[in-house]
Amino acid sequence: MTEEPRLSAREMIERLEPALSRARRVRAVVSLLSGLSGTAFMIALWTGEPGPLPSRTQVVFALLIVACLAWAGYGGWLLMRRVPLFATDRVIAAWIALAASLATTAALATMAVRRGTGLAPVLGVGGLFVAAALVLTVLTHTRRAALLRRARELRRTHPASRTHTSGN
Amino acid sequence: MTDELLVVRAQLGERAALAELVARWRLPVWTYVRRMLDAERADDVTQEIWLAVIRGLPRLREPGRFAPWLFTIARRSVTDRLRGQYAREHEAVHEALAAGDMTVDDPVDAAVDRAELVSLLSGLPMPEREILVLFYLQDLSVEDCAQICEIPTGTVKSRLNRARRLLRAHLEEKGYRP
Repeated sequence: MTEEPRLSAREMIERLEPALSRARRVRAVVSLLSGLSGTAFMIALWTGEPGPLPSRTQVVFALLIVACLAWAGYGGWLLMRRVPLFATDRVIAAWIALAASLATTAALATMAVRRGTGLAPVLGVGGLFVAAALVLTVLTHTRRAALLRRARELRRTHPASRTHTSGN
Repeated sequence: MTDELLVVRAQLGERAALAELVARWRLPVWTYVRRMLDAERADDVTQEIWLAVIRGLPRLREPGRFAPWLFTIARRSVTDRLRGQYAREHEAVHEALAAGDMTVDDPVDAAVDRAELVSLLSGLPMPEREILVLFYLQDLSVEDCAQICEIPTGTVKSRLNRARRLLRAHLEEKGYRP
């Protein structure tokens, strides 16, 4: 058979570019994390109010929480269905998640102390976020280390492949 | 460089490794798809397959078994496309019959006949053609074929036997003698 695909390898890679776009990956991670942080922030603000709020204010709080959840959902959907995060990306994303969790928890704790409202629930929820981010960071580092180890083993077994090493 | 090393490097996020992987497997994937579909759809489906491969690559747990995993995705994409096509053809046949303006053609035969490029292969039913392509043209083992097609190894062997018998019969019809 002499027939060949119409797309060359380079053209195929170009067509796959949207799925590999770094900007899209950053957007996905930032949307997810800012959505989650925003949700936690708004819930803490709402529940930390000392007196009963007018119903209009409560509606605004609810709408803001829905908006934050929508952003988190969008980021999560991008990451699950559209944008692949490779091992190195996952390590970076996990560190960003850890930083975002710590920053959100610190901000909420400061706010709770200033207002004199319950610090314990803020630290409890914030601690959960930080713990989850820590676990993710350890897991992603472990996975990346395992891949790097396997690559080294394979290079030792097939020394000729050293010449192909290149960065991201 | 072995496929496994390329896959591992791609999983780490090396674009060059990913590009090399696509370059290396582009033709085998397209050939498989082309044996099952017409030229126009083969290009579309091949692109879909590579998109699914890129999205799924970070989750691939056994980089050493890249080829069976790749062809599992390819097969799923081809099957999805054929399923959609069967449904449309079935509907069209029913509509035409209801209107009383055509005789009955088997939609399965119509789909099989669409792969015109290799006359011998196109004469085979889809399951046998698929097994021949995977086993002989892609050089995959019986176990890998079984994994890709989600059937027992015994079924792969029986389909291979049947495919060989059918091929022999087709060759003899065309005047070839062993």
